[in-house]
Amino acid sequence: MKNLKPELVVSNAAEKLSERTLVLLGINHTTAPIEVRERLSVPAGRLADATRSLLQQPGIREGIILSTCNRIELLTSQEMVADAVDLPRFLEEYFAVPSASLAPHLYEYREREAVRHLFRVASSLDSMVVGEPQILGQVKESYSIAREVGAVSSTLEGLLQRAFTVAKKVRSETEIGSSSVSIASVAVDLARKIFGSLQGKTVLLVGAGKMSSLAARHLIQQGASNIVVTNRTQARAEALAAEFLGTSAATSVLAFEQIYEQADRADIVITSTGSGRKLFERSHGQQFLDRRRHRPMFFIDIAVPRDVDPRMNEVEGCFVYDIDDLQQVAQANLADRGREAEAAESIVTQEVERYQQRLQSLEAVPAILALQQNAEAIREAELAKAAKRLGALTPEQQAAVDALTRSLTAKLLHPQLTALRRAAAPKGDE
Amino acid sequence: MSLLWLKVAVLLYGVASLAVLPAALYDRPKWRHVAIPATVAGVLFHFVSLAEMLNAAHHRLPVETHEVQSLLALLLAASFVAVYARYKTVALGIFVLPIAFLLSVLAAFRPGQEQLLPLRSGWIFLHIALLLAAYAALFVSLIASLLYLIQERRLKSKQPSLTWLPPLETTDQIALKSLLFGLPCMTGGLLIGSLVAQQTVGASYFLDPKILLAFAMWLAYCGMIFIRRHSGLRGRRAVYLSSFVFLVVLTVWAANQFSSVHRFSAP
Repeated sequence: MKNLKPELVVSNAAEKLSERTLVLLGINHTTAPIEVRERLSVPAGRLADATRSLLQQPGIREGIILSTCNRIELLTSQEMVADAVDLPRFLEEYFAVPSASLAPHLYEYREREAVRHLFRVASSLDSMVVGEPQILGQVKESYSIAREVGAVSSTLEGLLQRAFTVAKKVRSETEIGSSSVSIASVAVDLARKIFGSLQGKTVLLVGAGKMSSLAARHLIQQGASNIVVTNRTQARAEALAAEFLGTSAATSVLAFEQIYEQADRADIVITSTGSGRKLFERSHGQQFLDRRRHRPMFFIDIAVPRDVDPRMNEVEGCFVYDIDDLQQVAQANLADRGREAEAAESIVTQEVERYQQRLQSLEAVPAILALQQNAEAIREAELAKAAKRLGALTPEQQAAVDALTRSLTAKLLHPQLTALRRAAAPKGDE
Repeated sequence: MSLLWLKVAVLLYGVASLAVLPAALYDRPKWRHVAIPATVAGVLFHFVSLAEMLNAAHHRLPVETHEVQSLLALLLAASFVAVYARYKTVALGIFVLPIAFLLSVLAAFRPGQEQLLPLRSGWIFLHIALLLAAYAALFVSLIASLLYLIQERRLKSKQPSLTWLPPLETTDQIALKSLLFGLPCMTGGLLIGSLVAQQTVGASYFLDPKILLAFAMWLAYCGMIFIRRHSGLRGRRAVYLSSFVFLVVLTVWAANQFSSVHRFSAP
């Protein structure tokens, strides 16, 4: 501590906290249709690579990419001077999407608004179905990948940790996370409108996504008695099927090659492969219905890009809902959740305030530290000079002189330190 | 006295017809608690009225258009109660109850001149009752098919679903099972009618246009059930098919005007 020059501490702190800016750029389900979103989707396996590419952009100090079915967002901490940072161009180049088709759907938030948006996203207030629990896990996943590639340090680390705390608070203090507003329960509601009781119904899971597994669990709770799992990778299908072993449903694994021969056995098909090509075309729907003697089939396509050709919905007896359609249905439920969402929004607003306060007080910390270190250096220098004049002191006398000088410097510094802390505190909070 | 009970029944059908609207359209359970008891009580009063009327006639059956309509109303209201008991849906009542009310109100407040039939009219009554039960079943099936179509359209167009509409599978079951119930009724009704006609008029009875149409109706009814069961016909095409058979039934009903032997005034 003795060796540190106070001016240096202040200048380092200033560089850290004042010369960076927080910028969030993205598209989501409210600004872009699924056709645009599916072109910007980053598969989980490529997220680390995408985050590295983001970090290589000039002026970017830290960065996280959040890519889900409903959004892609770049959260970055940038150098203040770096006007050259062009996040839209990064998106255009990385995904090879022309600017004209992307620009109308983009939104950008800075500083406080970026913090607010992140808190809302993590708390599932910005989700397609408000209160759905998956988004927090997805934010954590993105954070963890960004940490692994070294794209997160002081600014985003603190911000993300705060976002997780806020999300937890929202979930525990409001009813927003109740199951009736999740995508899975929307799907179950629809299934009940088609089939009435789900007793004895067969559910086919194509792909092994978490959300499809959750939807299947909801369907089992409502009486679905057969779960058939299929996946391109047989082992993953078997692993997912094993998850349902403890439930009331009979579980089996279907070889992926037999999907077109066997899919008509299922009343409800949940697809989540996101393979990039349509797994089920319109003609498949017609074949399935013919083989089922036109008993209805419900396709829940939660993959982005979509697995089921939306034109299959035109086949009489086929009901195809993709992720946007589920949103549409969820809107009706959302009206009932308005009160909870309002309560959650006010928690987010308070937390944004608290975070900003904390940031401001952190900005004052270097100045306070510098003042204290300067005073301590002066005190020690003056003590050293006085020691020659005072001669040999007993340990008790040495301790008394030490305490006296410390007390003096503390009292002399008190008005300045108080003024600094007050200046750092937000207005009205003094 | 029987007319008084019928008037009470009509009043109760009226109350049920109104109460079923908020019960179904706005999903208000307290109105359901009005509509269902009112219908059940209406059916009971209607039945008592009918029994008293038959008893008072001393084996001579009053058959006048209004009374026949009233019997159809009773069967429709009873079918609504049966569907509710089995599927717990009141949606059908929106259509069935007002029709039951209108059919019975004519008989209660504008009774026509009763035509008394001779002793063997017990068989005639059974003939009429069974055929009316088949018509009521067909009507219920048609309404259920329409409800299926509305629900299917809403689900297809991804609009928020109407809470009062029953699930597709339920309406499909109602539509099919009421047809399956109606077939033996229609078959029995026609057989009884044929036997009575054979005894009274002889073979020439079967060349009457009304009678030929009635057998065409039976074939259409059988065909409809066969198609529904074996090709799994649902939705739009099922509505078309049910509507077609319903039109045939209406034609048969109206064919009394062209029949020389099958008339209320006929012996």
